[in-house]
Amino acid sequence: MELVCLGLNHQTAPVEVRERFAVPSSRLGEQARIVRETSGATEVVVISTCNRTEFFLASPEPAAVLAALEAGLLNACRADAELASHFYRHHRAEALHHLCRVVSGLDSMMLGETEVFGQVKQAYQAALESGTTSAVLNRAFQRAFAIGKKVRTVTRIQEGATSVGNVAVELAGKIFGHLEDSEVMILGAGEMSRITAQNLRSRGARSIFVTNRSFERAVELATETGGLAVKFDEWQRILERVDIVIASTGAPHFVLRREDLEAVRRARKFRPLFLIDIAVPRDIDPEVGTIDEVYLYDIDTLEQLAEEGRGRRRRQIEQCELLITREIDASTLPGI
Amino acid sequence: MDRWLLGLSTLLALVGGLSGLLQVCRGKRSRWTLAWMTSAFAVQLVFLTLRGQAREACPLADLGEILAFLAWSLTLFYLLVGPAYRISLMGVFTAPVVVVFQSLALLPGMMLADPQPVAGGNPWHETHSATSVLAYGALALAAVAGVMFLVLDHELKEHHLKSGWFRHLPPARELLTSLQRLLWIGMILLSIGVAAGLKMPRDASATPHLIAALFVWSAYLALLAVHKVRGIAGRLLSKCTVALFLLSLGVFAFV
Repeated sequence: MELVCLGLNHQTAPVEVRERFAVPSSRLGEQARIVRETSGATEVVVISTCNRTEFFLASPEPAAVLAALEAGLLNACRADAELASHFYRHHRAEALHHLCRVVSGLDSMMLGETEVFGQVKQAYQAALESGTTSAVLNRAFQRAFAIGKKVRTVTRIQEGATSVGNVAVELAGKIFGHLEDSEVMILGAGEMSRITAQNLRSRGARSIFVTNRSFERAVELATETGGLAVKFDEWQRILERVDIVIASTGAPHFVLRREDLEAVRRARKFRPLFLIDIAVPRDIDPEVGTIDEVYLYDIDTLEQLAEEGRGRRRRQIEQCELLITREIDASTLPGI
Repeated sequence: MDRWLLGLSTLLALVGGLSGLLQVCRGKRSRWTLAWMTSAFAVQLVFLTLRGQAREACPLADLGEILAFLAWSLTLFYLLVGPAYRISLMGVFTAPVVVVFQSLALLPGMMLADPQPVAGGNPWHETHSATSVLAYGALALAAVAGVMFLVLDHELKEHHLKSGWFRHLPPARELLTSLQRLLWIGMILLSIGVAAGLKMPRDASATPHLIAALFVWSAYLALLAVHKVRGIAGRLLSKCTVALFLLSLGVFAFV
């Protein structure tokens, strides 16, 4: 019996190819059963996320099973044979190593992301419930989950924010702790504002006020983020109560100046204020950042911090790989 | 024996502070600091019990005892506040202050080698001394929280987000909340101490000390009133808290 893997991911296939082989999460177990019947494999687990579709199989005749699976997939998707060039294949320890890299987030588009761990667990659970796993895949997946957990606890592969939105949310957490008591104002309804506001909302921000020169657009974004639209000439009044301001208007000049904030400091009782300026040209006068209770971050600073986060994660790859190899070498598993 | 105990407690706090500092510099959580500080606290307690038995009163009869009691009070509030707010790093900031107070107490001439029972003890005097030193323990920890806030504020302002300090410091708003609560606790205890001081029988030599106590009390009251009524930026509040604590130490060192 041999463990093998056949799949494609964001590194080997563009999205228009990946989407043809994607399997909805509700059908992973059913798909595993179909693959087992059509390919002749003894055990099957199907993993499908936005970045990958992979089939982990156990069979005494791996070459024949892989060929049957590949032909079956191309046939089911009515795809040309040349699409097969997007597939990769891994055998035995190499397949387990690949699975460990996937659950550890080393094979993800956003290095070290944690979501994939849950997605692989869900895929394995679906296969388990469909009865398509046995000794080889059960032990391989259990081992991969244990190694994945170790990688995430021993190394720093998942530490730090790696996108502008995440950096902003992390900083908000460092300033305010729980965001349940924090109110947010979006000044200018751009795409980055929407993403950052949604990140803050998902972290528990109490309420969101959206203001924009076009009130219709403000209403639209407010509806999307579960917030409240405010007329653009009223934003200074809202500034008195909010804790976080995300500015991304298209104005060619500063929208928020020192005097605007000085006017409301007393009313705010000098509470901390986190200003996120993601507009180019900038919306917030840098002079505002010199006010004691104000923490001002512009797009360049946030992007630089995100890049530093990505760099830190990249520097952890070697340590993670070493840990995975050492753990696999120390394992005695069937099919490896 | 009691000096050795105070020395041991100082050593435990020193190890706790240094190990925590090393962990933070390596980017890790200072998880053992709490255990070291708890040990230091236990030894402080034994030391104060022995001195209290010798004095047959609250052990606040010489400068060494006052400093040791202050260090104990600071550690007590740290143990009450730190873990409750998950402020793991607070121990790293508290330990050096404990070490300084106790090292000063161990200096020759600060503490009597053969403490005698306190003659003519008075309940108002005991209340005044004990609650005042307890109050300064809370105010000292408020100053420690203030220093922690100033470090975090500096890192946030200067966008230095990679340091171990930044990663392990609690959020700014939580630090300010614990600072304010400690100020209020200190203020309430200090008020009791001052009131007891006004009630206790005293001679003319105690008047400057009482005036200094009233001055410190008024300064803290003014700070809290401004904060409550008008509001005050976290940075200024922290600076004032640290400055007032240092000032009060200075005042009582000379008055």
